[in-house]
Amino acid sequence: MTQGLYLYSDHNLRKTILAKFAADERTAFANLRVGVLNGIVHLAGVVTALEIRVAAAELAEEIPGVRGVVNRIEAPGAPSPARTVYLNLQNKKGNMDE
Amino acid sequence: MTYSLPPDPKHLSRLEALFAKIHHFDGLSRETLERIAAIARPRHFDAGQVIFIEGEPAEQLYLLERGWVKAMRMSRDGREQAMMFMEAGEIFGDIAVFSGTDYPGTVVALEEVDTWGIPAVEFMALVAQDTALATAIIRRLSERVLHYIGLVEDLSLRNVEARLANTLLQHAETRNGRLVVLRRYWTTFDEMAVRLGTVRDVLSRALKTLEADGLLKVEKQEIILLDPPGLKARGDL
Repeated sequence: MTQGLYLYSDHNLRKTILAKFAADERTAFANLRVGVLNGIVHLAGVVTALEIRVAAAELAEEIPGVRGVVNRIEAPGAPSPARTVYLNLQNKKGNMDE
Repeated sequence: MTYSLPPDPKHLSRLEALFAKIHHFDGLSRETLERIAAIARPRHFDAGQVIFIEGEPAEQLYLLERGWVKAMRMSRDGREQAMMFMEAGEIFGDIAVFSGTDYPGTVVALEEVDTWGIPAVEFMALVAQDTALATAIIRRLSERVLHYIGLVEDLSLRNVEARLANTLLQHAETRNGRLVVLRRYWTTFDEMAVRLGTVRDVLSRALKTLEADGLLKVEKQEIILLDPPGLKARGDL
């Protein structure tokens, strides 16, 4: 039980996400910023294409223990990073803010 | 020494002006100022840009030179709550730096913003060397603790209407023979709600109640206090 909780700690989730970003060619050099608090992932940074922004959120969401993703990455055509975000954490899937 | 290069003279004069605005930092010596200037780096953010995100390691603290920023935090159930609105002369990111934790909230620029980012490790080394700086920080943090003690007391003893009445009376000023609270004290209803430790919907209801009771009138740029004694009585509840 303790080990399970530790595996899903915010610190470990952040490390896993950063490793996953580094291993994926779409996000490897995007210099994305990642924060995790209470199992909710917060993403920021600036990318050149909307696809990279979407890919980053999808990669993060796939990781076991991630409860939701707040995507504040700047990209052409993306919503304002400063917008107010509400996540629907009741859903098992699709806990992204858009 | 915590730095090897002398500070840029332009940086020094800008920081000098900024320090004059920061409560508790205005009395620091020239030497301390120069040490901070040597490690501080100017950072500009456009409106809407993220300065830092919650759950990210606190690697820098920030001095706000120009513009407004908003700090917000997401609750465990996914609801985002504004925590604080800050203007020029404020310091942010410092609590996480001092406690060695991750940032507890996300900070975004509400308009064009100029900040000075100070690396956490270098700043802590400076604090360890400079007693005056350490004392200024202790006083600043103590003041913040006292503010939160007051807020907790207010939250536990008074309802939103009472807190609103007190806050309005505290910020009121006389204009053209009327007692008013100008919009600059609460740029948005969100900000006012944060100051009162509530949410916008509850604040809106409290304002409507006080307005319906003839105690105040809400206008676009100001709130007119029509019955200050009545508001005082409501604030004492």
